[in-house]
Amino acid sequence: MEMYLYIALFAPLAGSLFAALFGAAPKTLWTGVVTSALLFASFLSSVTLFVYLLQGGEALHAELMTWIAAGSLYIPFGFVVDEVSATMMVVVTTVSTVVHVYAIGYMDHDKAFNRFFAWLSAFVFSMMILVMSDNFAGMFIGWEGVGLCSWALIGFWYHKESATWAANEAFIMNRIADLGMLIGIFLIYWNTGSLQYAVVFPTLATLDTSVLTLMGIFLFIGAMGKSAQFPLHTWLADAMEGPTPVSALIHAATMVTAGVYLVVRANPLYSLIPDVGYFIAGLGAFVALFAATMALVNRDIKRIIAYSTLSQLGYMFVAAGLGAYWVALFHLMAHAFFKALLFLGAGNVMHAMSDELDPFKMGGLYKVMKWTAILMILASVALAGIWPLAGFFSKDNILEVAFSSDHYVIWGVLWVTAGLTAFYSFRLIMLTFFSGEERYKEYGFHPHEAYKFMLWAMAPLAVLAVIAGWGEEIFVHFVKELLPEFEFHIGHNVEMMLIVVTSLMAIGGIVTAVLLYRNGLLNPKLQQTWVYKLLSNQYFIPKFYDEFFSKPYAELSRIFWKHIDLKVVDATVDFIATTIYKTGESTHTMQNGNLSSMLRWMVIGVVVLLLLAVSYAVRYDILAALQTVFPGLGA
Amino acid sequence: MFDHILSILIFFPALAGLLGFTVSKESIRAYGITVSAIEFVLSLVLWYAYDPAGGGMQFIEQIALVPAFGINYLLGVDGISLFIIILAAFFTLIGIASLTETRRVKDLIITLLFLQMTMVGVFAALDAIVFYVFWELSLVPMLYIIGAWGGPLRIYASVKFFLYTFTGSLVMLVGMLFMAYSYFQTTGEWSFSILEWYRLVLPQDLQLWLFAAFFLGFAIKVPMFPFHTWLPYAHGQAPTIGSVILAAILLKMGTYAFVRLSLPLFPDASVFFMVPIAVLALIMIIYTAMVAYAQEDIKQVVAYSSISHMGVIILGTFALNVEGISGSVFLMIGHGVVSGALFLLVGVIYDRRHTKLMSEFGGLAQVMPHYATIFGIMLMASVGLPLTINFVGEFLSLLGFYQQSHIITLLAGTAIIVGAIYMLSAYKKAFFGNVTKEENKTLKDVNKKELVALVPLAVVAVWLGVYPKPVLEPINNSVESIVQLMHEKAVTPEAKAAIPNPAAQKIAMASAADVDVEVEVEREAE
Repeated sequence: MEMYLYIALFAPLAGSLFAALFGAAPKTLWTGVVTSALLFASFLSSVTLFVYLLQGGEALHAELMTWIAAGSLYIPFGFVVDEVSATMMVVVTTVSTVVHVYAIGYMDHDKAFNRFFAWLSAFVFSMMILVMSDNFAGMFIGWEGVGLCSWALIGFWYHKESATWAANEAFIMNRIADLGMLIGIFLIYWNTGSLQYAVVFPTLATLDTSVLTLMGIFLFIGAMGKSAQFPLHTWLADAMEGPTPVSALIHAATMVTAGVYLVVRANPLYSLIPDVGYFIAGLGAFVALFAATMALVNRDIKRIIAYSTLSQLGYMFVAAGLGAYWVALFHLMAHAFFKALLFLGAGNVMHAMSDELDPFKMGGLYKVMKWTAILMILASVALAGIWPLAGFFSKDNILEVAFSSDHYVIWGVLWVTAGLTAFYSFRLIMLTFFSGEERYKEYGFHPHEAYKFMLWAMAPLAVLAVIAGWGEEIFVHFVKELLPEFEFHIGHNVEMMLIVVTSLMAIGGIVTAVLLYRNGLLNPKLQQTWVYKLLSNQYFIPKFYDEFFSKPYAELSRIFWKHIDLKVVDATVDFIATTIYKTGESTHTMQNGNLSSMLRWMVIGVVVLLLLAVSYAVRYDILAALQTVFPGLGA
Repeated sequence: MFDHILSILIFFPALAGLLGFTVSKESIRAYGITVSAIEFVLSLVLWYAYDPAGGGMQFIEQIALVPAFGINYLLGVDGISLFIIILAAFFTLIGIASLTETRRVKDLIITLLFLQMTMVGVFAALDAIVFYVFWELSLVPMLYIIGAWGGPLRIYASVKFFLYTFTGSLVMLVGMLFMAYSYFQTTGEWSFSILEWYRLVLPQDLQLWLFAAFFLGFAIKVPMFPFHTWLPYAHGQAPTIGSVILAAILLKMGTYAFVRLSLPLFPDASVFFMVPIAVLALIMIIYTAMVAYAQEDIKQVVAYSSISHMGVIILGTFALNVEGISGSVFLMIGHGVVSGALFLLVGVIYDRRHTKLMSEFGGLAQVMPHYATIFGIMLMASVGLPLTINFVGEFLSLLGFYQQSHIITLLAGTAIIVGAIYMLSAYKKAFFGNVTKEENKTLKDVNKKELVALVPLAVVAVWLGVYPKPVLEPINNSVESIVQLMHEKAVTPEAKAAIPNPAAQKIAMASAADVDVEVEVEREAE
C-alpha cells in the first residue's frame, strides 16, 4: 500500500519535472499527455488507497526521511493516509486529472503550453503534500507550494499587467495569512514539543484554554488567507486573470479549500475551543452572504463564479466552525466537482467568444454551444442545491447544522444566501445562453463549440456533480473513524420542513432569474442606484486597500529611503566624519613649519600636558594604579 | 594527515596568489580557477574528515607566537565555522570562474586569492589576535576591489567602507585587549585563546562593557541598523565579484563573531541586551525591507534585502536556544548562497545593458527565459519558500526566538511578507510585462560561463532546502555545546532561566520517549 502512497504523491512531481524540461521550448503535445497520464496514475493510486480504507484498512503512515532536526525540534517528511486525507486526495486527483486533459485542448494555441503543464502538475504535487503530510510543517510546505504555483499560474500570461499584478496580490495576501499560520506552528511546537499530528492532538487536552485559543486563532488566520475569507478575500476575484483551467483547479476546487481542510484536520483543537468555532462560523456566514451579493451584479462570468466559490467556502466554514467537520468535508468534495465543472464550462464560453467575459455581450449562445450549456446548467442546478444533485445534500446538511445548534441567525443568513446563489447562477446562465436576442452578433463574435474531447473530459465531473451527494451514508460512516460525529437535535418533521423551505428558496431564486432575464437585459437605469454601485465596486474594499495600505506603504517606503536613510542615518555618519576632517583641516596650520610658531605651540602643549599629568596623578593616585596593572614597570 | 589542513586552507591561496604575479596575463584566469578549485576540494576534504557527531573544535593547530602574552597561532573548526569556510572557497571558485571583468584581470584574481586567505583565516582562527589580524586584513583586498574596479563613486564608497568598519574594529580590539587583561587578572596568566576565554566566568557589569565594545565592531560589519549605510554604497559601486563576496562571506564575519565570541563569552550580557538587540533586528527586518521596496536600482534592492535578512540572522542568534542559533548559522549559509547568487544575476544583466535601473528593463522573461527561471528560483529562495535553503534558517530562527518573545517574533515574522513585497515587485518590474525598450529585444540569454556559476548555486539552494541534514546536523551539535557552555557560565538567575540547558532537555526528551514506549507496550499488552 505504501507504494500507492508514493505513486499518488510523486507522479505529479515527475510530470511537472518532465514538462519543465521542455519549459522554454515551443509546444509539444507530449508534455500535456504525459502529465495527464501521470496524474491519472496518481488518481488511480488515490482511489486504491481510498477503497482500501473504505474496506476497513488501517490508516497508512510513511516516513521518507528527516527534513529539519535542530535542538529538540524534529520534522520528517512524513505522510499519512487516513480517512480525511484519502478523501482530499481523491478530490484533488480527480479534478486535476480532468483539468489536465481539458487543458490540453484549452491551451492548444498557447506558446507556453509546456510551461503551463509544468506549473499545473507542480501545483498538484504541492496540494498532495498539503493534504498528505503528517505534521504541520509538512502541511506548511504544501501550503506555500500551492501559493507559489498559484502565483505563477495567475501571472501565467505575464505580459499582461493585470495578470502579474493579481499574481503578486494573491501571493502577498496569502503571505500575510501564512504569518498567522507560522505563529500558530510556533505556538504548537513550544507548547507540545512536536509538530506531528499524532503527538500534538493527544497533548492538546492538557493545555490551557488561552493557549489553545491563540493556537486556534493563528491557525485560522492562515486558513483565512488560503480560503480567501474576509478581509483577505480580494485576491480571489482578481486571480481570475489566470487561464481558466487554473481557476477551475486552484481557485475553485482545491487550493482555496485548503483552509477548510486545515480546520477539519485540526478538529481536536477546534473541538476544545468552541468560542473560536463560533467566530469561524459567524465569519463564514457573513462571507457567504457578502460574496453572494457581489456576484449578483458582476459583469464578468469568471468573477461571478469566483464570488460564488467564496460564498460556498463560507458555507464550509460554518459547518466546520460549528463542529460538523464531516459536513464541511462533504460540501468541500461536492463543491469541488460542480464548481470545477462550472469553471470549465465558462472556459468553453470564453474560447468561443475570443476571451470575452462580459455576459452582457453574449446571449443566445445555447444555439451554438448546446453541450457546454447543458453541462453548465447541470453544474448550476447542483450549486443551487436542487434535489437530487450533489449540492442539495451537502448544502442542506450545513443549514441543518446551523439550525440544530440553535444558530438561527446563521441559518437565516445561509437561507437567504441559498436564494441569492440560485439567482446569480441562473442570471449567468440566462445572460450567456438564452435571454432573447443574440447580442454577441453586434460585437462581431463568431462563437463555436469546444473540442469534443474537452466536453468528454468534463463528463466525469458532470456525473460526479449529480451523484456525489448520494453516497452520504457511506461517507459519514467512512470519515467518522477520524472526525467527531455531529448530533442533529432536530426531529424528522422539522428536518423535512427545513428541506422544503430551503428548496423553495433555491427554486424561487432560479425562477426569478429566469423570469427577469428571459427577454434580455434589465433596464440600464438600475445601474445608477447606489446599491448597484456599492456591489459592483465590491463594497469599495479593493479601493480602500489600495488607498489605505498599498499607497501609504509605497509612500512610507520612499520616505524611509529618501528622508530617513539618506538624510538622517547616513548624514549623521558623514557628519561625524566631516567634523573630524574639518577639525584637522582647521588645525593643521599649527604645523605650518614656521619654527617660532611651532616652538610656541610646543611650549603651550608641554605646559598643558604637565598640568594635566600632575593634577591627575594627585587626584587619582595614578602611579599606584599603574603598578598594579603593569607590575613589571618597577617601583 | 589532516593535522595542518587549516593552515594549508588559509595560506595556499595567498601563496598561490604570490606565485600568480609570475603567470602571464593570458593564462591567469585558468591559473586562478585551478587554485581556487584545489582550495575548494581541500575544503570539501575538510568536511569529509570532520566528525559531525562531535560538537567541539577539530583540526586544532597551535604554534606559540608571543608566549609572554599568551598569543598563539591557534586554529580550529567546528560545525559553525566549517560551512562558512566551504562557502568562502565555493564562492571564490565560482566568482573567478564566472568573472566577466576585462580590466586588469590579473590584479583582480590575485586580490581575490588574498581575500580568500583572510576569509578562511577569520573563520578558522581561535586566537583573538589572529582573528583580529585576519579580520582587519580582509578590508584591504575589498577596499582595493571596490576602489579599483568600482563605479563612478568608488573612492567615496571604498573609503567609507574602510573607515567605518575599521573604526568599529578598533573598539573591538580594545575590548579584546581588556578581555585578555581580565583573564590575566583572574588567572594570573595572559591568554588570547578564545577557547580559554570560554572558561572564564566574568561578573555581569564587566560583561556588559566588554559586550558593548565587541558589539560595535560586529554590528558595523553585519551591518546592523543604524550602522548599515556603508553597505548600499559599497554594493552600489563594487563590481559584481566584489558584491558577491561581500554579501556572501564578509558580512557573515559579523554574525559569526556574535556566535563565536559574544554569546559564549558574555552570556549574561547577551541576555541583558537581548531585547534591545532584537528591536534593532526588527528595525533591520522591516525598515530596510521597506527601503528596498522603494529602490529603483535592482542591485540596491538586493543590497537592502541583504540587511533585512541579516536582521533575521541576528534575531535567531539572540534567541539563545539551540533551535534559534542553529537556524541563524544555517541562515548565514543560506543567505550567502542566495544573496551571492542574486548579485551574480544582477551582474549578468549589468554586463549586457550597463544599467541596473529596473525602469530600463521589463519583459525580460520573454527574451531571457533561462535567466528569468534561475532568477525566479533565487527569488523564491530569498523570500524563504519551504524546500529552499533560506526557509530552514528563517523558520528555525523565528521559531527559536518565539520562546523568548512572542510579540517580537510576530513582528519579525512580517519578514516573510515585506520580503515578498519587494522581491515580487522587483521581479515584476524587470521580468514581466512587454519588452518596451528596443535594446532589450536582442538581449542574449545566460551563456555557459554564467551558467557555471548560477546552476550550482541553484542546485545548492534547493538541495539544502530539501535535505539540510548534512549541514544542519554538525551545526546543531556545535551550537548545542555552545548553549550548554552559556547555560553553565551564566551568573545571573535571569540568564540561567533565559538560556535553556540542552543536556537537561535531552534527558527529558529521552524519558518522554520512554514513556511513549511504555504506553505502546501497555497497549499491545491489552
